Amino acid sequence: MLTVDALREYGADVDTGLARCLNNEAFYLRMVSMTVPDTKLDELEAAIAAKDLDRGFELAHAMKGMYSNLALTPILNPVNEMTELLRARTDTDYSKLLAEAKLQKEMLNRMAE
Amino acid sequence: MEENTSKINANHRRYVLIVDDEEINRQMLGFIIGNDYDVMYASNGCEALDILHENSYRISLILLDILMPEMNGYELLEVLRNDMELRKIPVIVLTSEKSAEVDSLRMGAVDFIPKPYDMPDVILARVGRSIKLAEDSSLLSATEQDSMTGLYNKGFFYVYADMHGRLNPDMDMDAVAIDINRLHIVNDLYGRAYGDQVIRRLAGRIKRYAYEHGGYAGRSDGDLFYLYIPHTDDCDALLEELGKDLRLNDDDIQITLRMGIYQNADRSTGMEACFDRAENACKTVRNTYASSYSFYDSKMHEKELYDEQLLGEVDTALAEGQFKVYFQPKYNIRGGRPVLSSAEALVRWIHPALGFISPGAFIPLFEKNGLILKLDKYVWKKSAEQMRIWKEKYGVVIPVSVNISRMDIYEPGLEDEIRSIAAAEGIANDAFLLEITESAYTDNSDYIISVVNSLRSSGFRIEMDDFGSGYSSLSMLASLPVDVLKIDMAFVRNITTSEKDYRMIRLMIDVAGFMGMTTVAEGVETKEQLDLLGQAGCDVIQGYYFSKPVPPDEFEQFIEKELEESKNADS
Repeated sequence: MLTVDALREYGADVDTGLARCLNNEAFYLRMVSMTVPDTKLDELEAAIAAKDLDRGFELAHAMKGMYSNLALTPILNPVNEMTELLRARTDTDYSKLLAEAKLQKEMLNRMAE
Repeated sequence: MEENTSKINANHRRYVLIVDDEEINRQMLGFIIGNDYDVMYASNGCEALDILHENSYRISLILLDILMPEMNGYELLEVLRNDMELRKIPVIVLTSEKSAEVDSLRMGAVDFIPKPYDMPDVILARVGRSIKLAEDSSLLSATEQDSMTGLYNKGFFYVYADMHGRLNPDMDMDAVAIDINRLHIVNDLYGRAYGDQVIRRLAGRIKRYAYEHGGYAGRSDGDLFYLYIPHTDDCDALLEELGKDLRLNDDDIQITLRMGIYQNADRSTGMEACFDRAENACKTVRNTYASSYSFYDSKMHEKELYDEQLLGEVDTALAEGQFKVYFQPKYNIRGGRPVLSSAEALVRWIHPALGFISPGAFIPLFEKNGLILKLDKYVWKKSAEQMRIWKEKYGVVIPVSVNISRMDIYEPGLEDEIRSIAAAEGIANDAFLLEITESAYTDNSDYIISVVNSLRSSGFRIEMDDFGSGYSSLSMLASLPVDVLKIDMAFVRNITTSEKDYRMIRLMIDVAGFMGMTTVAEGVETKEQLDLLGQAGCDVIQGYYFSKPVPPDEFEQFIEKELEESKNADS
C-alpha cells in the first residue's frame, strides 16, 4: 500500500515532495503512483544497449525531472548519475546503475500494488 | 487587438498553457497554479502550437519545458518569436539546466522556473508577475496602436521613427506614404466591410515589411499609411510586395496603390515634415488604375517653399488689396439678341514682387488650409460693394455670382454673414448668385441640402457649378435645391467635335428646363459653340466669346452697351 510513511521508509524525501504538491498527500501519492506504469527505464536500458546515447540522455533526463520533482531519492540517485554520464555521451558500463535503478523502481512498484 | 484587451480584465481567470512531455511534471505544475489559473496542457511544441493557434486570444502565459520530443522548447520559442500574434504571449521556461536559463531568455522567454518545483509560492508569484507585465505592456500598445489595423497610430509612429533616427544618426532612411486608389469605389461596389478588410490586408503587409526590414509602420488615417524604412533603391519590389493582389476574390476589380517616397529623408526638419513630403509625392501620382509611385524631389521642394511664401503673405495681401475682383459678363441668349444678365466674380492676385499669380496656384492651397474662408468673404464684400456702385451709377442691379467653398458651407454663421454683407451695401439677396460646386453635394448631401434650403428661403439664388464633373447624376437633380445649373466647361469645349458631348449637353439642358432651372454654359469661346448651345436650348452663356474676366472699370463698358442697346430696342 502506497503511503507517505512507506515512502519515508523507502528513503524518499517526503516532506520536500509534499511541499511541491502544496502538502496535499492524496495528490502526492497519486503522482507517485503514476510512475509505476512508466516504461522509460526499460527504454533507457535498450537505448544504452544499442549505443544510442542521444536517446539515452533524453530518457534519463526526463526521468530525472520526474523523480526529482517527487523527491524519490533512492531511484533519483542512479538516474541522476546516468544523466550526467549520458550528457557527456560517455560510453561506459551502465549495468550497475541500471540495475540499481531497476531495483528501486521495483520497490516503488511493489509499494503501489 | 480587441481580443488582446479582452484578456485584460482584472476579474477574469487567466489561461496558462503548460508544455512539458512528462505528464507528472505537467500535473504537478498544474496543481500548483490551478487554484489561481485555468490550465491547458500540451506534451510537446507541436501540440502547443495547435492549442495556441486555436486559443491565442485567451492564453495569458506559456510555461515551457525545453527538452521535449517532436518540437522542443527552443524550436517553439523560435516559432513564437516570428509570429506577429503569438509573440505577444509571455513564456516562462521550465528547466533544470543552468545553461538553458540564459539561452531561453535570449530567445525571448520572460523568465524561468527551475526544476524541481521547490517553493510553489515563488512559482505562483513569478507567473503572476509575468502576466501582469505582459498585460501592462499590451495596454500600453493598445493606446499606441490603431485599433483597426494594429499599426502605430500617427502620434506614436512619429515618436518611434524619431527615436530610431536619434539612435541611428548615420543610417539612410526613406519616408514612404502609401494609399489605396479609389477606395470609395471599392466601398461602393462591395460594401464598407470589404474595404476595411482590404485596409487590414494592406496594413498586415506593411507591418511585415517594416518588421523584416527593421523599420516602423503607422496608419495616418483612412487608407493612408506610413512606412519608415532603411533606404531602398528597389521601389518596384516594395510596391510589388505591398500591392500584389489586394482584392478578396479573383473576380473583383483590381485594387491598386499609390506610393510617395521621400528618399534619404532629411530628419532635421522633423518627422512630420518628412512624411508630409512623402504624402505630397504620393498625391502627385496620377495613374490610379495601376499601382505606381513617385518621389519627393527638388521641384516639389521649391513648390512647397513657394506655397509657404503665399500662405505667409495672405493677410498682408488682403490688407493691401492685392487681391482684385474681376468680373466676367454672362449673357442671356433666349431672346433675339444676347442680353447682359449677370456677372461672375473671379479673384486675381496681383503680387507686388511676384506679379500676377494664377488662381490655380493659390485657391487649392487656400482650400486646403482654411484661408479660403477669408478670401471668399473678401470677394463677397467686394462684389456687393461693386453692385452698389453700379446701381448708384447706372440705376441697374447687375447680379453677381460668387463662390461658396465647401468649407464655407460648414461655417455656422454663413447665412448671416452674406445677408449682412448684402444689407450693408443695400443689395437685395436675390442679386447674389451663390455658386456651389457639384462635388460638394456628394460630401454630406443632407447637411448641404439643409444649408442651401435655408439660403434659398432668404432669397439667395443657388448655382450648381461644374455640373457633370462630379458623381451626381441627372436623376439626383430632382432632389437638389438649385436655381441655376452651370454646365462644366469640359463638355462645352468638345461640343463642336463630339456628338456624344453635344447630346449630353442637350440632355442636361432638357432635364434642367424640366426642373425649372436656368442653364448656364461657361467656357464658350467661339460662335459655333454659342450657336450649338443656343440650339440646344441653353439660357445663359459665359466665356471669352463675349469677354474674359475684366476689372470693374472695364466691365462698365458692357453695362453701358447693354443700357444703350436696350434703349434702342425699346424705342
